[in-house]
Amino acid sequence: MWNYTGIAKRTREYHEAIILSKIVEISPTTRHEGHSKLVLKVDDAGIIERGDWLSITPVRGVEKLAIGKTMDQVPKIASRVCGICPIAHTLAGIESMEASIRCEIPRDAKLLRIILQSANRLHSHALHNILTLPDMYLPGTDTKINPFSPQEPVRSVAKRIQRLREIGQTIGEIAGGEAVHPSNPRVGGMYKACTQQAKTKMYDLAKEALVLAHEQMDFMIAILRNYQKRDWAEVGGKQIPIPKTLGYHNQGYMAAHPMYGSSSLDECPGWNPDRWTDVRPWDWYMGEGEVSLADPSYPIGGTSPVGTKVNPQMEACTGVPLYDGSPVEVGPRARLVQFKNYDEKGTIGQQVARQMEYPDCLYTIINALDEYNPNGKVLADHIPQGDGSLGWAANEAPRGTDVHLAKVKDGRVLYYEMLVPTTWNFPTCSRALTGAPWQLAEVIVRGYDPCVSCATHMIVIDEDKRLVAQKLIQ
Amino acid sequence: MPLMRHSNEVREMAGELGKYKLCVSARSADKAILKKAQDGGIVTQLFKFALEEGIIDGAIVAGPGDEPWRPRPFIATTVEELMTSSGTKYNISPQVSWIKEATRSFGLDKIGIVGTPCQMQAVRKGQLYPVGLRDVPDKIKLAIGIFCMENFSYQSVKQLVEDHAAMKMEAVKKMEIGKGKFWVYGQRGQVVQLPLKVTHKYEQPGCHVCLDYVANLADVSTGSVGSPDGWSTVFVRTRNGDDIWSKAIAAGCFETKPIEQVKPGLELVTKLATEKITKNQKTVEERAKFGVNKGLRNPYLGPK
Repeated sequence: MWNYTGIAKRTREYHEAIILSKIVEISPTTRHEGHSKLVLKVDDAGIIERGDWLSITPVRGVEKLAIGKTMDQVPKIASRVCGICPIAHTLAGIESMEASIRCEIPRDAKLLRIILQSANRLHSHALHNILTLPDMYLPGTDTKINPFSPQEPVRSVAKRIQRLREIGQTIGEIAGGEAVHPSNPRVGGMYKACTQQAKTKMYDLAKEALVLAHEQMDFMIAILRNYQKRDWAEVGGKQIPIPKTLGYHNQGYMAAHPMYGSSSLDECPGWNPDRWTDVRPWDWYMGEGEVSLADPSYPIGGTSPVGTKVNPQMEACTGVPLYDGSPVEVGPRARLVQFKNYDEKGTIGQQVARQMEYPDCLYTIINALDEYNPNGKVLADHIPQGDGSLGWAANEAPRGTDVHLAKVKDGRVLYYEMLVPTTWNFPTCSRALTGAPWQLAEVIVRGYDPCVSCATHMIVIDEDKRLVAQKLIQ
Repeated sequence: MPLMRHSNEVREMAGELGKYKLCVSARSADKAILKKAQDGGIVTQLFKFALEEGIIDGAIVAGPGDEPWRPRPFIATTVEELMTSSGTKYNISPQVSWIKEATRSFGLDKIGIVGTPCQMQAVRKGQLYPVGLRDVPDKIKLAIGIFCMENFSYQSVKQLVEDHAAMKMEAVKKMEIGKGKFWVYGQRGQVVQLPLKVTHKYEQPGCHVCLDYVANLADVSTGSVGSPDGWSTVFVRTRNGDDIWSKAIAAGCFETKPIEQVKPGLELVTKLATEKITKNQKTVEERAKFGVNKGLRNPYLGPK
């Protein structure tokens, strides 16, 4: 079934290459969602020549088990793919069903979904600040930031982050029914309209958070700019030089919308399924190898010991989706590049773009609340049961474009596919590792705010859109 | 938590009546409330006061449903809405089904809830062990319990009213269980009384393992037994309940009499509570030996 000759050839080439270079493995990676590792081929100076960042999260096979289930159930299952961005999977899942059955939802339901979406982005970006800050320095010092420190100025920042998250979660809970795994969205709209009282509460919270979000954005950008000016970062007691091109890559960008998303019901859809192809990890990742460089001082617990066998081709638990035949970056920077001509490359550029999204989350909530009518209808009068047509919906999740594709017939799911932001970013980020000292590879990875649970799925479609491989249990 | 911590503040008259700080016979001072009330209008009056004072911003009450005398729980956020929920409906109203939604699309921060003893138990369990009840525990601000001997399904009440009492459901003005009878009052003035013996087979089976008569876990519990017609027996139980009750008294919401000065008083309440608990305790114990060498589950023991 597979092309073993191709794999053998690739493996041989790869073995020849490692005569001159060494392999170091960081497993597991930390301060991001899910379970992944870095297999890095480095030169004598420890600079990455080729890096593979791959998911080793067990495949749960949501797309496969969705088949035959009802269109109402599947998005609720898909939500459980991830607890940081369940909103993305719920909304993309439901809207892919709505796109397949061609159901237009009422305006007030859409507004509630937009509020939910923006509130989740607020919370998610704030959470990511906590994950990022330990890599960063207090400006003008050589002291790294411990967000759990009771000392100022860090304590006030941590409190501000927690309040932003609390507000994001509370608004999400009111508009979406639940902050984690929203219960209110359903095929055809929403179960419940929010009352006037709930609307007022959300408005007050958004106004409070807007001030905090501006402060937090300014703070984070100052911290990130300070890192950019530094020549080195301390990792495991050593000073590691920070390259000016940390995290640069030459891949493209993909985004469907600056804030919400797009679907095949739109007049001018923001995404095109014809431009998407998937390849298998064994076509894309490095083959068999052996760890030949280890650093027990890498915090905390060291890297994998010398002699550890690695095989990214076989170990990677994601497909590799391509847009126009090549890996693309998705996420905050991709949105700013596509819609606002943002042009800063690299890890810090990516992190700055993420912070720049803060205020928009709250302006979007406030504007949507202004338009929202608590007495309006939130469920479509007619919900068709579907004829098996393909529909897709792209949700701009905190981490980028989350596309779900579905075919619904007689209320049941015939086909379901999730193209999740971090899945798009895995190969792109792997490319972006080249040229960095291996000790900073995780800093580059964190720039993508990876959500590895989200990324892990395993249905691979070839260029003719045929299902070529399914790896559910291996 | 609203449950009392200082046992010295609590007079434990009898285990059957739960812990409480104060017991009185009371009725609302508001004529409009009394006009529609089952007894002394305690629940409606206390929620009205709490709403107006901002102690709660909404209350889960049993309002009119799709069919006559079928209750439907809903969240009242105005006094007007609250007033539609007066009167006892002798069949199941799943009050707790709204408890989470009240904090969600209704945007409430301070929730009032009225219910039977089992529903008060659900509220307290939800506060201490919030399984799937995120953000609920700290938002319960006033839990009012009503005395309850047993409940019926809607079909049961319909059977009792339409077959045994020979009255259309929509023709009924009030139903009441008291003085050993099931009373049905018609809009046109008819009064039918059924002996309670007739009603037993219609009881909801789940009520037969209930060991709580006077809503022991509520902030304030109230019911008809013990007080004269038009008045209610009220137990003020928690510190929170005491605080709200005292304010309501100070605001002139209620007329009260010491329970010792009314007939039949606490003696009857204690007697009925003891009967309920003794009978149901026996049912609970019998479940252990329901089968041959096996029994039925006992929720009071927990999983083994």
